[in-house]
Amino acid sequence: MIFQLNYKSGKPIYLQLVDQIKAAAASGALQPGEALPPIRALAEELRVNRNTIAKAYSELESLGVVETQPGRGCFLSESPAGLRKDARRKLLMEDIDQAIVQAHHLQVSEEEFLQLVRERVAAFDQRRKAREVQEV
Amino acid sequence: MPLNDIPAIAIDDLTYAYGRAEAVRGLSFAVVPGRCYGLFGRNGAGKTTTMKCLLNLLRPQSGTVRVFGLDPAKSEVEVKRRLAYVPDQVAFYPWMTVRETLDYLSSFRERWNLRTEEELLERFRLDPGKRAGELSKGQRTQLALIAAICPETDLLVLDEPTSGLDPIVRREFIETVIGAYQAGGEGRRTILVSTHLITEFEGLIDEFTIIDQGRSVLTSEADDARQRYQRIRARFAGNPPEVDLFGALRVQRQGREVEVIADGAGPIIQDRLREHTPEAIWTEALTLEEIFVAALRA
Repeated sequence: MIFQLNYKSGKPIYLQLVDQIKAAAASGALQPGEALPPIRALAEELRVNRNTIAKAYSELESLGVVETQPGRGCFLSESPAGLRKDARRKLLMEDIDQAIVQAHHLQVSEEEFLQLVRERVAAFDQRRKAREVQEV
Repeated sequence: MPLNDIPAIAIDDLTYAYGRAEAVRGLSFAVVPGRCYGLFGRNGAGKTTTMKCLLNLLRPQSGTVRVFGLDPAKSEVEVKRRLAYVPDQVAFYPWMTVRETLDYLSSFRERWNLRTEEELLERFRLDPGKRAGELSKGQRTQLALIAAICPETDLLVLDEPTSGLDPIVRREFIETVIGAYQAGGEGRRTILVSTHLITEFEGLIDEFTIIDQGRSVLTSEADDARQRYQRIRARFAGNPPEVDLFGALRVQRQGREVEVIADGAGPIIQDRLREHTPEAIWTEALTLEEIFVAALRA
């Protein structure tokens, strides 16, 4: 997978990596059991501190998104639902709250916002289905 | 103090003057082991003088310098055993070949990773039979980097390592520092890099100190700095209103737009601008180089 770091977003670099890997897992660009790039290779490629990659991977591990197999590397979890349901909901709530704040500032109405959420869910579904068809 | 809590580098109230010209005036900072620390400053800001005090090439006139808790003046051998250094002006014996230079330099070291040496010679396409005197500036820097990485020291000190090099060599240099040096140590190896070419080190820097005229202007974690320093732009229907922008580092007005550089006060300034119902408002973080410029202008 290809990462895109943005030093002008104000978001810590390791979090940008965490979010991009989560997004790749959600859209099916990364499949369960698939390997993440080795820390050293990714650090060199992105010209980012090795510790930043290690921090992103350990964050993903604590979220249950990836599993580390000692000596072999990091793999996307077979069942990314390693977290309890309320913990998962809480994580999602924080992101939704941020989007709501942003929508308010951009003067997007509640109706428009909800419509947009439905559209995005449909877009992700479509992409995932397209990938499944490709693999069959 | 447990061993792990000893900073890799601790500089406290360091002062150094060349005759009457004060190069470093009361500089303090500390580097936690395993991190990459940037020392940013313009030419002549005091970066190299500070580095030379670490290496015992200069003696501090006041203040203290410690490397792994040791005084470089009293424990020179032990300090030099634990660090490697790439200076801004690399010099080798011109009559020695690349091979002879590496053999010579490795003879001073307890450890020398031959596999890394081979990998890096190949990566940089350096001919082991070529004389050091015939190498280009870029190739001399590459040779110095190989000599600094192979001993696998706990600390790597880089003084303006990429100035005067072409973009490809600069890029390879940084990839090598990350891959061959830092990633080889499982998070335990420390880097101190002084540079004014900040953009290319952006992803590598954990924490930094900006120095100007020998004094510290700003010390921060890189991620924190990028969250604090913001550029806010707002466009209004008419002339931008006169808003109280207390906390702004810099305000620029042009036509119907106003641009504000904020340090920490970003959210407050955004709210104040919004009260005047702008047509549009954008916010972005400053990069480390932009923070450097903003901090020195303020």
